[in-house]
Amino acid sequence: MTSPINISSKIAPSFSMVSKYFIASVASFVVFCVLLLLNYYEIHGHHFQPKLLALTHILTLGWISMIIFGAMFQLVPVVLEVKLHNEKLGEVQFWLYCIGIIGMVYGFWTFSVGMHFTASAVMVTAAMFLFIYNIFRTMTNVTKWNITGLFLLTALVYLALTALSGLILGYNLGFPFLDRSHFDYLTLHAHIGFIGWVLMVIMGVGLKLIPMFGLSHNFSTVPAKTAFILVNIGLLGATIEWILTGAVWLLNVYIAILMLGIVSFIIQIISILKNRMKLTLDIGMKHSAVAFGYAVVATFVGGLLAWSNPGDEGIREQTVLVYGLIIMVGFFSMLIVGQMYKIVPFLVWFHTFSDRAGKEKVPLLKDLLNESLATVQFWILNAGILTMIAGTLLIQQTVQFIGIALITIAALLFAYNIGNVFYIRKLHANRRKST
Amino acid sequence: MLTEEKVHNALYSVIDPELGIDVVNLGLIYGIDIDDDSVTVTMTLTTPGCPLHESMSSAVYNAIRTLDPDKEVKINLVWDPPWTPERLTDQAKEMLGW
Repeated sequence: MTSPINISSKIAPSFSMVSKYFIASVASFVVFCVLLLLNYYEIHGHHFQPKLLALTHILTLGWISMIIFGAMFQLVPVVLEVKLHNEKLGEVQFWLYCIGIIGMVYGFWTFSVGMHFTASAVMVTAAMFLFIYNIFRTMTNVTKWNITGLFLLTALVYLALTALSGLILGYNLGFPFLDRSHFDYLTLHAHIGFIGWVLMVIMGVGLKLIPMFGLSHNFSTVPAKTAFILVNIGLLGATIEWILTGAVWLLNVYIAILMLGIVSFIIQIISILKNRMKLTLDIGMKHSAVAFGYAVVATFVGGLLAWSNPGDEGIREQTVLVYGLIIMVGFFSMLIVGQMYKIVPFLVWFHTFSDRAGKEKVPLLKDLLNESLATVQFWILNAGILTMIAGTLLIQQTVQFIGIALITIAALLFAYNIGNVFYIRKLHANRRKST
Repeated sequence: MLTEEKVHNALYSVIDPELGIDVVNLGLIYGIDIDDDSVTVTMTLTTPGCPLHESMSSAVYNAIRTLDPDKEVKINLVWDPPWTPERLTDQAKEMLGW
């Protein structure tokens, strides 16, 4: 008898390795929301405050980057048809990364930024470099390159730059040595991370997953290729100009190029969605579509902050907070929640039911998720984001509190829903053992 | 006796778990060849490198083996001609919201 060639089962990493990244990241999102809720009165004024720095790093390291690591371990092998270089390295990275994050967040929260803080930052950086090495070595075996691979490879370079700039900044907090303002470099570190690392991954993975989920065909990838070129020129150009403190007009030109690149990618997403065969948007895709709407707003607010005269410093600080909120919660978190509603049921289905498909009736992916609960969560999350934006802009702490409370409820509903999907895996694994 | 019709009908039970549509109505099956010892199914997937859809060839294999455990089953996964939305049946389009 001839077994069919099943590439996925031969090259996909183990369930336990990928799922621990997903579970830790969802837990980080909940921790972030609860801590934000308990400290809502801190969300005003300048963004450089101990608790805000701690919260931002729970979100960026614990939630956003953690989930990207897990998703890339799962997707890079199957999308590029190559085996993951070293799964055990992924395990080591996970524990090093978790311990490092806890140390860093504690250091920021209490603003004790001495040796233990630097050591934690070194652990986080080392974990990131283990990831870069692992994925890079995996990619060296790729024989059929595609545009997704190019985006992901570039994202690894920016991750290295984000990690190194973060490490330098962390050391500078405890042992100042930089000649320019810490904030100047903080802006750079944040944007290399947001745009170079996270957005580059979103563009690469989105280009593969969104057509796949929507069954989109016959669309041009010229806007995505244009976005790749423009975002890289804009980000690298702006970074160099920022470091060299060159001409302001040139910096503004690079920022404009960067924004055009992001707009070009949004055009790509619209084109993919227009060419989809699956007309009904499921709850995962609804989250994703709305997330790209927040990306447009974030790009506009970013341009406004870059080009407008500071004027009233108070209004500017509140706008910076709103800018960060739209990027991290509106865009990144909304997109991650939506994609998790697609990826986690797939992961559980693949490791639980795929070998039984064709032999017996197996559930569909949508059967594994409570879509009604996810829909309620979708509306609560959007209401929370919009309320919090209003509260932050108007400096109304009660409104902010309501917004954060709604986001927290949404995070808990999301965690419960995803937890239930993982529980299906456990339930069936136990049943199999007992038979 | 295993016939092309029986195999074809059995493949209606192989459902894409993401779309909820079977491989026949999705237009993934290009051909079924049966000889004395084996069944060869020539099929494609909607997109190369898709993690989920690669489980489909495995499910097709299982469905035919369930039908006749004595026959050798060969899955010939091809990318040429590539799958296009025109291969969807009217029933599949309706299920996709058209």
